[in-house]
Amino acid sequence: MEIRMAGVTKTFGEDITALEDVFLNVPKGDFVYLVGPTGSGKTTLLRILNRELLPTRGQALVGEYNLRKLRRTRVCHYRRAVGMVFQDYRLLEDRSALENVAFVLEAVGASRKEAIDRAGEVLDCVGMWRRRFLFPRELSGGEQQRVSIARSIANDPLLLLCDEPTGNLDPQTAGEIMQLLLSINASGTTLLMATHNRYLVDAYRQRVVELKMGRIVRDQERGRYEIDEEL
Amino acid sequence: MRSFRFALRDTVRLIRQSPGVSGLTFLTVLVVFFFVGSSFLLALNTRHVISVVEGELVIQAYLQPKGNLDEVRKKAANIPHVTGVRPISSEQALELLKARLGNQSAAVTLLGENPLPASVEVRVDKASSVAGVARELVSMPQVEDVVYAGKVAEKLARLSRFAEVFSLFLLAFAGLAGALVLYNTIRVAIYSRKQEIEVMLLVGALPGFVALPFVFLGVFWGFTGTVAASLVLGILYKSFVVSVQNTLPFIQLLDNPDLFLKLGIVLVGSGIALSWLCSWFAVERHIAEAMKPS
Ligand SMILES: Nc1ncnc2c1ncn2[C@@H]1O[C@H](COP(=O)(O)OP(=O)(O)OP(=O)(O)O)[C@@H](O)[C@H]1O
Ligand SMILES: [Mg+2]
Repeated sequence: MEIRMAGVTKTFGEDITALEDVFLNVPKGDFVYLVGPTGSGKTTLLRILNRELLPTRGQALVGEYNLRKLRRTRVCHYRRAVGMVFQDYRLLEDRSALENVAFVLEAVGASRKEAIDRAGEVLDCVGMWRRRFLFPRELSGGEQQRVSIARSIANDPLLLLCDEPTGNLDPQTAGEIMQLLLSINASGTTLLMATHNRYLVDAYRQRVVELKMGRIVRDQERGRYEIDEEL
Repeated sequence: MRSFRFALRDTVRLIRQSPGVSGLTFLTVLVVFFFVGSSFLLALNTRHVISVVEGELVIQAYLQPKGNLDEVRKKAANIPHVTGVRPISSEQALELLKARLGNQSAAVTLLGENPLPASVEVRVDKASSVAGVARELVSMPQVEDVVYAGKVAEKLARLSRFAEVFSLFLLAFAGLAGALVLYNTIRVAIYSRKQEIEVMLLVGALPGFVALPFVFLGVFWGFTGTVAASLVLGILYKSFVVSVQNTLPFIQLLDNPDLFLKLGIVLVGSGIALSWLCSWFAVERHIAEAMKPS
């Protein structure tokens, strides 16, 4: 799905401005890194796109959805088309990895068997097949992160929002996850990835959007993690 | 159908997750609906006792010596609120007197000519109608005198009005208590699964789908609680009736199997309806809150 944000500002309370006057167009099928120091507004931008937050000002359009004016059932439809990897994973503590993925599939209408099959499949993709029966508390941070990635892609989303999807992974695993995300992107899914991982951004060159204090300060095709001196 | 099965599985999970809370919920619903049922029975019995007494309220209207019994009977029957008129000719009155005197009935013959007037015995629908009907009767030219228990009728009328209001009040109160208990039970269940609901909504589960297990949970408690309450109430009431019959035989309490069946159906039915409403309301409110973007 195509993203069009125009003049988006998000404030919390009186004095916190998390995003300020953001204009961002992402064509369908694009891959975009969101970079910037901590607190610069990356998560806020993704949460607006997931419709957890409403922009204080400005327009946010994704595909045919105007995120400011969505009725409740439309929100559900929209979210089915969007996958999100949360910075804090948001796994359910009382279910195994497999159930964590399967339940969201069942929640959007898959049969029990379809859900279990598909959940196993995507857990295999992120290298968690052998640990599928373990509970979140029995998994390392990186393993939980991978389950959360599996959950976000299980539904074949048209737009995938990843908030620090490799934050807890070693370089080797991070590279594998990156390959997975790239292959999902190659199949047509628009992908936004907020990251602090300099190595990945520099190794797999894609469009880079840099935020600072809530403003877009750089938008570069095939950019690096930091401003290219040559340019 | 799929989501129905999923929701049922989830409901079972909710119940099993915390057996302590489940047991407590069951007991609370049972007690509350026992209370609802008891107030219902109390209301029914009060009415029953009152209507039995009311049914025994009669007005005796004695005719003038030349009065026409049949005419008075017809007129009396046409007065509103009159449910029955029994004509008693002076011969019949004499017979009744004789019967009452038993072996001394021979004394009656000493009276010579029959001195007893003819009369009509009028029954009315409820105590509050007695005074009005008596006035109507006394205004008839053929009627000489009217005798009725005025004070008793008045008191009874007041009592029956009070009982009606009181029992309605009690019933409403008990129902409200039941609704509150169910509502809060569901709220606790929702609260314990807040995170899960949030995640489900974030991945695009429909609100109805998210709500279903909680609505089922509420209906489950409403149903089991009221069935148990009906059984306990039935058993206790039965033994109560028996002991009342033994100690206070003049009080007639309602006691027929048909009544118990009806009461059970009413209790369980209202339990299901109430729990459905309450849990739906509770979960709907939570979902609306959770889906509101900030
Ligand atoms: N719900 C909230 N209430 C108040 N302030 C908030 C809220 N969410 C975010 N903020 C503020 O908005 C700013 C941007 O936060 P955001 O989470 O978007 O940063 P980020 O770029 O994702 O940072 P990080 O790289 O550490 O994840 C921060 O200053 C943060 O304190
Ligand atoms: Mg963040």
